[in-house]
Amino acid sequence: MTSTILPPNTKRISPLGRVEGDLDLNIKVDDGVVTDAWTEASMFRGFEIILKGKDPQAGLIVTPRICGICGGSHLYKAVYALDTAWRTHVPHSATLVRNIAQACETLQSIPRWFYALFAIDLTNKNYARSPYYAEAVKRFAPFVGTSYEPGVTLSGKPVEVYAIFGGQWPHSSFMIPGGVMCAPTLSDVTRSISILEFWKREWLEKQWLGCSIERWLANKTWADVLAWADENDAQRNSDCGLFLRMSLDIGLDKFGKGCGAFLATGTYFQPELYERPTVEGRNAALINRSGVYDGAEFHDFDQANVREDITHSHYKGSSLLHPWDGVTEPIDPLEGAKQGKYSWAKSPRYLVPGKGQIPLEAGPLSRQVIAGRPGAAKHQDYDPLFLDAIRTVGPSVLVRVMARMHEACKYYNLARRWLGELDLHDKFYTKPTEHAEGKGFGSTEAARGSLSDWIIIKNGKIENYQVVTPTAWNIGPLDGKNVHGPMEQSFIGARIADPADPVEVGHVARSFDSCLVCTVHTYDAKSGRELARFKIGEGAR
Amino acid sequence: MASLLWLQGGACSGNTMSFLNAEEPSACDLVTDFGIDVVWHPSLGLELGDNVKALLRDIVAGRRPLDIFVFEGTVIQGPNGTGRFNMFADRPMKDWVSELCQVANAVVALGDCACWGGIPATAPNPVDNTGLQYLKRAHGGYLGADFRSKWGLPVINIPGCPAHPDWVTQILVAISTGRAKDIGLDELQRPVTFFKTFTQTGCTRTQFFEYKQSPKEFGQGTRTGCLFYEFGCRGPMTHSPCNRILWNRQSSKTRAGMPCTGCTEPEFPFYDLMPGTVFKTQKIAGVIPKDVPTGVDHVSYMALAAAAKIAAPKWSKEDMFVV
Repeated sequence: MTSTILPPNTKRISPLGRVEGDLDLNIKVDDGVVTDAWTEASMFRGFEIILKGKDPQAGLIVTPRICGICGGSHLYKAVYALDTAWRTHVPHSATLVRNIAQACETLQSIPRWFYALFAIDLTNKNYARSPYYAEAVKRFAPFVGTSYEPGVTLSGKPVEVYAIFGGQWPHSSFMIPGGVMCAPTLSDVTRSISILEFWKREWLEKQWLGCSIERWLANKTWADVLAWADENDAQRNSDCGLFLRMSLDIGLDKFGKGCGAFLATGTYFQPELYERPTVEGRNAALINRSGVYDGAEFHDFDQANVREDITHSHYKGSSLLHPWDGVTEPIDPLEGAKQGKYSWAKSPRYLVPGKGQIPLEAGPLSRQVIAGRPGAAKHQDYDPLFLDAIRTVGPSVLVRVMARMHEACKYYNLARRWLGELDLHDKFYTKPTEHAEGKGFGSTEAARGSLSDWIIIKNGKIENYQVVTPTAWNIGPLDGKNVHGPMEQSFIGARIADPADPVEVGHVARSFDSCLVCTVHTYDAKSGRELARFKIGEGAR
Repeated sequence: MASLLWLQGGACSGNTMSFLNAEEPSACDLVTDFGIDVVWHPSLGLELGDNVKALLRDIVAGRRPLDIFVFEGTVIQGPNGTGRFNMFADRPMKDWVSELCQVANAVVALGDCACWGGIPATAPNPVDNTGLQYLKRAHGGYLGADFRSKWGLPVINIPGCPAHPDWVTQILVAISTGRAKDIGLDELQRPVTFFKTFTQTGCTRTQFFEYKQSPKEFGQGTRTGCLFYEFGCRGPMTHSPCNRILWNRQSSKTRAGMPCTGCTEPEFPFYDLMPGTVFKTQKIAGVIPKDVPTGVDHVSYMALAAAAKIAAPKWSKEDMFVV
């Protein structure tokens, strides 16, 4: 099923030669510069179809299984979709428990993603000439690296806290409309604090930073970060210090810009401001804010402005619909290819007032850009560091990765604070009225970015259920206006040192942490000849 | 020393994530202490030849021996039997699965999806998912009821959504240390060492079960009561060691106040998640539980329940797991 590569709008594209994986990137290179790129998601299961006609609460069980990496985030937004649809009351301590669990999933994801998925690429033989190469191989080689092994193993610690409250991780469904199923005891809180302390001491401060959390969080500009890396030996030689110095040496700060526009739907609620969850009251109750940055100015996030474009996705038609009106009608990808369709991902777009529909990048960098927006309320996070970074050095692979790692300190602090605020004698649940009709919207920030559900309940069952994932925001295909998705854009213009082994492309894909295994194909733009195909994530050989 | 290939079909990576939580042994220990040679895994970025496709072809052609083939996720057969809903390395994933299962010494289905179809196979099963050797409880699945691996074993089913990391690591170590024949399997091809007992075995709520005491609502979940009577807990009918081998070394769903959803059984999700079936005990005539503990008939159950309720001591009506 291979053919020559032609732009999708010629309707002659067909599924490309694959090496493996759920995501294929197809890159055209002209004189060492990427001139065009397409991302294909190549697996479909049809969860939205399964949910239709089911029990309103089915999403609490089904949606976490969309992605076992972010299952807790799926549960978190699914429960808020029901809370808003059923107009529930959520006790303060239940909100805190939900926040703690969600934060712990992300704390797990940060080191696990860095060591198991990202840093192994630093051992690629392409970097053998870097003065940092030998050290990178020693630390980051899969399974045996001196940092890899503790990094991956210790990543399991924060989700032990998740299990204390939710029973297990992944795939608990302990959050329900009106609160949570658990009622923690003294020892639950004590053990949770102790586990988080251990993780912070052994991994975050000792291995990753080489300094205290407080010292790291004193960095307010990108210049501060660079100065921090050279402040003393402990910081210089920490995993973070090594990663920064090596990245600058091999140029990870030079490419992977993306679309330059960012989305955060925000996460974590201030308990007293979201006792009665509503779609309208959501933004004001968030601790980590929502927002849109279009590259020039900030806008308030409004779920009503979200659309999904399916022009180049393997679904019937070419509609651009709001998720409450969304449809999911798969077609045979062979048939889709004839219509210029090439991915199972839909293309989410956001209608910016006065600008029309634009693609937005989701993820840690987006969250941290929005965190830099002035005007935060007292309970909300304000953090100027990464807004400064994108305005001074611009978005890049390095900046995107650092944004993610930066969150480890912030979420640890939040989780510790919430554990301290838990009132163990409070209620953890208010029994809701299960309305037969309702419309709900729930959203959160998974480790990888904004994750949202739109639900419509009719006659006591699900009439429509649409999920928009961060992966779709980032890796979605061309839209109806032939505008590339953020990840596709981030490749275009990148300079490839060795077209036969374009490891740069791999870093870009990994920096988006798309939840999917990536395969890269590069083609010579003039001859259409395939130059290389390789799997991202190959270690040193 | 055993070679292992791990592929994902219609999967969410939940079993991979669960596997990475393992500690005794950890995922890294399998490689460094038990000599398991992980030929390839879709998300762990292992060392491998320049080209996975060539590697897979070498395995299929018998040029490279494969001891353990671990499959996570469903086998996707749609649309119309083509498998094109899940493409992998130039062809439908299902075609790779057929060939790899023929050459592997042992085949492990990891998680519900690979065992019996799991959640993606819930009606209407949009992409025609199946498990490797079962579709729900029906024997056969993708490979057929008669399938045997090169060592003469049927597919080893390690169910659960996800499977617990220890269930996986211990079976992998058993196979790689020459103890494959020690793994006893039950009628659903699950290792008996894990799946002979019930989820209820070791549940901290069994005393409440004994005296037929239920909590009134969620949220007091960990304070009192058994979740079987009102909240649809499947602990007494589900085979798993969830309350013997705790999750994340800490707890289990039922200990945290969440009803067991029966996720190690082929029927999960039960009742196809139809309206009124989520977190609610299904009853006959509004009183008698439709599903009673395994091996008990409804009449005996009712007699037992009546006696137990009469005998219930005062403490069984009070909170036990207090602050």
